[in-house]
Amino acid sequence: MYLHSRVSAIILILPLVLVLASLTIYPFLNMVYMSFHNYDLAKGGDPKFIGLGNYLAIFKDRLAISSVEFTAILVVIALPLEMLFGMGIAWLFRNLIVGERFMRSLVLLPMMVPAVVAGIAWKMLFNYNFGPLNYFLSLFGISNISWLGDPNFARLGIIIVDLWQWTPFVFLVLYSGLQSMPAELVEAARVDGASSWAVIRYVELPILAPLIGTVLIIRLIDLLKLFDIIYMITWGGPGSATHSFSYYIYKVGLSYGWDVGYASALSIVLLIVVVFLVNLLMRVLRLRALLEL
Amino acid sequence: MRLKSYLLSGAMAILMLVLLVAPAAAQQPVKLNVWSSPDNADALTELANLFMEKNPNITIEVSPISWEVLYPQILADIRAKTGAFDVTTWDLMTAGSIAEGMLDLTKFGEEHPDLVDPNFDAKDFIPTAWHVYGMWGDKNIGYPFYGATMFLFYRKDYFEDESLKAAFKEKYGRELAPPATWEEALEVTKFFTKSENPASPTEYGITLMFPRTHTLFYMYINWFAPLRRSEEGIKKFGEVDLDWGDLFTADRKPAFNSPEGVKALEMMEELMKYSPDPLGSDYGETFEAFGKGLAAMIPSWTATLAGWQDFPEVSPVKEKVGVAVIPGGYPVSGGWGLGINAVSKHKEEAFRFVQFATSKEGDKLQWMKYRVGPTRYSVLQDPEVLADSPWLGEVYTKSLENASHRPRIPEEPKLEDLMVGTLSEILMGQKPDKAAALEELAAEWEKILAGE
Repeated sequence: MYLHSRVSAIILILPLVLVLASLTIYPFLNMVYMSFHNYDLAKGGDPKFIGLGNYLAIFKDRLAISSVEFTAILVVIALPLEMLFGMGIAWLFRNLIVGERFMRSLVLLPMMVPAVVAGIAWKMLFNYNFGPLNYFLSLFGISNISWLGDPNFARLGIIIVDLWQWTPFVFLVLYSGLQSMPAELVEAARVDGASSWAVIRYVELPILAPLIGTVLIIRLIDLLKLFDIIYMITWGGPGSATHSFSYYIYKVGLSYGWDVGYASALSIVLLIVVVFLVNLLMRVLRLRALLEL
Repeated sequence: MRLKSYLLSGAMAILMLVLLVAPAAAQQPVKLNVWSSPDNADALTELANLFMEKNPNITIEVSPISWEVLYPQILADIRAKTGAFDVTTWDLMTAGSIAEGMLDLTKFGEEHPDLVDPNFDAKDFIPTAWHVYGMWGDKNIGYPFYGATMFLFYRKDYFEDESLKAAFKEKYGRELAPPATWEEALEVTKFFTKSENPASPTEYGITLMFPRTHTLFYMYINWFAPLRRSEEGIKKFGEVDLDWGDLFTADRKPAFNSPEGVKALEMMEELMKYSPDPLGSDYGETFEAFGKGLAAMIPSWTATLAGWQDFPEVSPVKEKVGVAVIPGGYPVSGGWGLGINAVSKHKEEAFRFVQFATSKEGDKLQWMKYRVGPTRYSVLQDPEVLADSPWLGEVYTKSLENASHRPRIPEEPKLEDLMVGTLSEILMGQKPDKAAALEELAAEWEKILAGE
């Protein structure tokens, strides 16, 4: 009987395992395999084993290094700002008495816009001659800014677009956390004479901590993989100012080279970095939770 | 006697069967899968419909595929030899990468003389077009389908304005005309820039696109090619190899790491001062700037002309926008060839279709109806075509005959990206020593070409 049910279970699960294996595990193993080979579609021929050659080449590749730099800038600047703004808006909304539903929909709108549309829209906003952004700044006597032609402004532009699009996600998660928070805890703190700040610091923040940690990890992963808005707005330029690591992988693998071997090695490195940073973050969060206990 | 009659009847029966079956076999329905870049797809679909009317047993399915996807898809298919497409349009720059998997059309025609259209007239194609849209080395991998080079579009109404002409002559001692060289272009640009000449009807003299995309790569060639192809340039670098393009010497070494390469950049830099946001502008931004009357000149592609119809400032386009050869006389080429997959199961039908699509009639139809650039002399001299687009007679023909070229070798995409990065950094001022930056770039190119 046990054997029969076990066999049935295996048969039932098998299609799913096969689909998973062919769509996820095989491509991943193939990527690992390719990362140790020289295989360039544009040149043809069979994959040639080169050991760690592709991995060592990354350290000598100035574009790969500059793409790491920009990705780090993105994480260091955009991530904390998104968390701060998202949290700030969530707390503001909690105290909103009128028009909360309408305002909430409005705030969530950027997150729902497809990246392609957002990219085109922001490219128009950043337009040097006819863009509303430069027009608005000109009202304050600021002369036209080359948002896409100046390396610093181009980087700032990408950060602004990411903040615009993904702060609503942080808000959404934290706001739902605040909404589901037991009111009696806050009330008890207030009865005990806690100030508003003390309520936030000692009651609400600890309760929200797991949600904050989750959002932080999701946004970290997303920022490390940022590709779409760069593709739509700056194409990594000017120079190599806005090359993110993901965008560079796309260029090596698809746009400028079809160098499958090198692109696979870059992808594996990105995967390792993402796994390492996420683990690190989780450990820090867990450690903090333990310390607070 | 009876055996003889049996044999005769048997033979008759077999003959009748063969006679009945053979035409039926020849009329077997065949489906051709045609891949096309979106800008060619409408024209190719109409040509396919016309071809199907004449050949009811052949069905053609034209699939428009964006450039970014089309190229890797062709590469993947010809490496795997699956024959997912029978016919495809291919960008001229991809010739070297795809050549191995494409059918040699000249050879195929020699092997199947019955399939060759007697009116095809391969000599009718502009020689440059025949090579860059059809050849890789000695292999004929396609027929020219979409001819394209860059042109200088200018505000004809301003260039013909008597008061502006007089003012220009007074200042520069020559007639106001579309510039023939980049040095002349600088003068005309300054004249039409308000900060230099408050009487200018436009804010800027020219609108340039130098973004960090493939645009910057081909734009640079417009400045470099006239120096590369000058008498001195030919002496120094040798004749241009149509497969390796203008950025290489005749012996396939980088040619831009030279005083000519630096001078081209200096001329670009000089003009940038009179153009709105050149580093942040691409095709769309410059198109809009010219269409809204912000600039007097714009180097761009053929398709822009039709697009300006919707801009009141430059409409009617025939009266307000003129077309000239790019200053320097060697505009960079674009465009597409039409070829057949070497492992296609329907090569014979595909061969007849590509001949039909690139015939004189096809070449004319695609320009008159879809503005897909012609590549045949007979079309460029056709009275009906010239009545519709007079500039095709001289400006277009000259531009295509003298076009300069990007490399068409398999390594091109990598070389392009490296060069765009360096040029972008130079034009931003991040690499003030241009000669050193170009030397460094040439060394990187050599490494890639050496397979390192």
